[in-house]
Amino acid sequence: MNITLKLFTSLRRYLPEGCSGGACDLEVDPGTSVGEVLRRYGVPTEGIVILVNGRSAGLGRVLEEDDVLAVFHALAGG
Amino acid sequence: MFGWHGKVLRVDLTAEKTSVEEIDPQTAKDYIGGRGWAIKILHEEVDPTVDPLSPDNKLIFTTGPLTGTPAPTGNRYMVTTKAPLTGAIACSNSGGMYPTEMKKTGLDMIVLEGRAERPVYVWINADGSGDEAEVEIRPADHLWGMRVPEATDALLEETDEKARVSCIGPAGERLVKIASIMNDKHRAAGRSGVGAVMGSKNLKAVVVRGTLDTPLAEPDEMRELSRQVRREVAADVKKGSTLREYGTAYVPIVTNEIGILPTRNFQTGVFEGVDGITGEVLTDKYLVRPKACFGCPIGCGRRTTLEGSIYEGKGEGPEYETIASLGSACGLDDMAAVTKANYLCNELGMDTISTGVTIACAMEMMEKGILSEEDVGMELRFGDADAVIQLVEQTGYREGFGDVLAEGSYRMAERFGVPELSITAKKQEFPGYDPRGSKGMGLLYATSNVGASHMAGDLAYMEVFGVPKKIDPLTIDRKPWYIKHFEDLFTIIDAAGLCVFLSIRYLCDGTYEVQPTRMTEMINLATGADYTVESLMEAGDRVYTLERLFLSQAGFTRADDTLPKRMLEEPMPDGPAAGHVVELDEMLPEFYELRGWDENGVPKDEKLAELGLNR
Repeated sequence: MNITLKLFTSLRRYLPEGCSGGACDLEVDPGTSVGEVLRRYGVPTEGIVILVNGRSAGLGRVLEEDDVLAVFHALAGG
Repeated sequence: MFGWHGKVLRVDLTAEKTSVEEIDPQTAKDYIGGRGWAIKILHEEVDPTVDPLSPDNKLIFTTGPLTGTPAPTGNRYMVTTKAPLTGAIACSNSGGMYPTEMKKTGLDMIVLEGRAERPVYVWINADGSGDEAEVEIRPADHLWGMRVPEATDALLEETDEKARVSCIGPAGERLVKIASIMNDKHRAAGRSGVGAVMGSKNLKAVVVRGTLDTPLAEPDEMRELSRQVRREVAADVKKGSTLREYGTAYVPIVTNEIGILPTRNFQTGVFEGVDGITGEVLTDKYLVRPKACFGCPIGCGRRTTLEGSIYEGKGEGPEYETIASLGSACGLDDMAAVTKANYLCNELGMDTISTGVTIACAMEMMEKGILSEEDVGMELRFGDADAVIQLVEQTGYREGFGDVLAEGSYRMAERFGVPELSITAKKQEFPGYDPRGSKGMGLLYATSNVGASHMAGDLAYMEVFGVPKKIDPLTIDRKPWYIKHFEDLFTIIDAAGLCVFLSIRYLCDGTYEVQPTRMTEMINLATGADYTVESLMEAGDRVYTLERLFLSQAGFTRADDTLPKRMLEEPMPDGPAAGHVVELDEMLPEFYELRGWDENGVPKDEKLAELGLNR
């Protein structure tokens, strides 16, 4: 199934090659969790905020077809 | 005294007299400093119903006990007054180099009273040639009319090149209700129209030069704790700290992803043009280098240039709030245009948030046929960069339709019969988080003593950014507790002279309770006071409650603790927060109860007694 992975700002460097604009469409097996996707690309799994379709999620969240997984460093701004 | 100098400068602009008063140590401790000392003076000396632009209002510059100390980000000052935009109090905070220099004059606070007959500026010089600062009130006729950078350069030329300048631009001189006070050319005590109060006093600038260090109670331990904090920040920067690399401009993609990026006057929270206004665009195209305030290990400031774009200029910014207000709220997807509008606001001395959101409101009014091209003198569509830039300039000078915009969005929309289109609380424009997708921020905007403001208790830290922990932005559960807690916490940060960017992450305990453990330690090491976490939080509560009492006495009631109809009744149309409104009525009673205020939002007698306050 297909999902979209978005890595913001300094996490962009963990995106697979060939991706641009901080986002990448990926094919993953059904039942794949957020944690499995992040570990596959070496993305840090601590000190981050995880969003699935714009809503807060954890590493154990199982992804579904067309989900948008977005990850950024937990760091204040504004 | 330690941490504090214990000295307050009074400048009577009417009589052209100055004097220095000592502050009582117990009062210093009970009210912490900064914003706390200032509200005590306002409450005791200013009629809460006073016209903010009359000579009877007072304009107070204050530092805190950590300003100008080794405490990382101890570099802030506050401008407190009764605000012309809101009629409530203003607590506008700024960093840069000026606050530290002000503290080095040996004065903690400057109270500016009355009104000068002709334009003047105040020159405070403690360059080491005497024991105390010399204070002069000097003519400023030749500076009146100058923009901020020009006025700053002229003032440095005629005082001391090592001095620091806080001044108003043409907007403050013309009593624009969204005028700011600018220091170090590019830093703003931005909100609530503090620049108009300065203009009403015929005061162009307060220039400071100082060489006096702040005595510290435990200097060695304080330096060690400061070093420890700096090491932690450095480790985060090494891991790729987003703030150093992108400034707060990294935020639009985050708020857009959760669906709360103000778009087209808060009609929605998802902006299709967000890719044009991201931190990456700013860093890749316009950043010269990051810039830090005095003693700051983070460096979120942006020194930028528009070289290579269709615009001209160089300066500082934009930061997130400016991108959200002059950018997405106006439908602009061009970082160069946003940056240009930001430069103009800085030069004219205007709050970027209120300026952007007021123009956005005018755009929606034209979209809905309420304003005509004839009214505005131009076509005004969302996304029209040239119109935004022209209107910023006109607003600063109150020219053409700018004279209407200069009153802020509420007065403008009310004049045309549509006050509900003004996205304000207590007549102050919303910052960059649509509260329909960030419910705690909704309660904050509605109840804050300064009107809509993120800096009054920025729960976006937790609801949006996950600092120190992530909480669900779409629920109202526990939000009344969090907002009360964050208001008290942010009051302490302001009063101490710290920056929030460092304080929540590195000076609190890192738990869901967000207790100011290290902050207490840091303030004690500087001042020698024996605050506990509890007594420091109580001092924050004392200051916040006294501010509220001032508002109550000025005539504010529960009816003013509200939000625009759009936030309460019109569900967010799309994005992750689709279908949500702010359930304010469900949060308000519990919030008042926690604060010890009655059902009308007025502090109860027993609450005042508990905090040692008098009506």
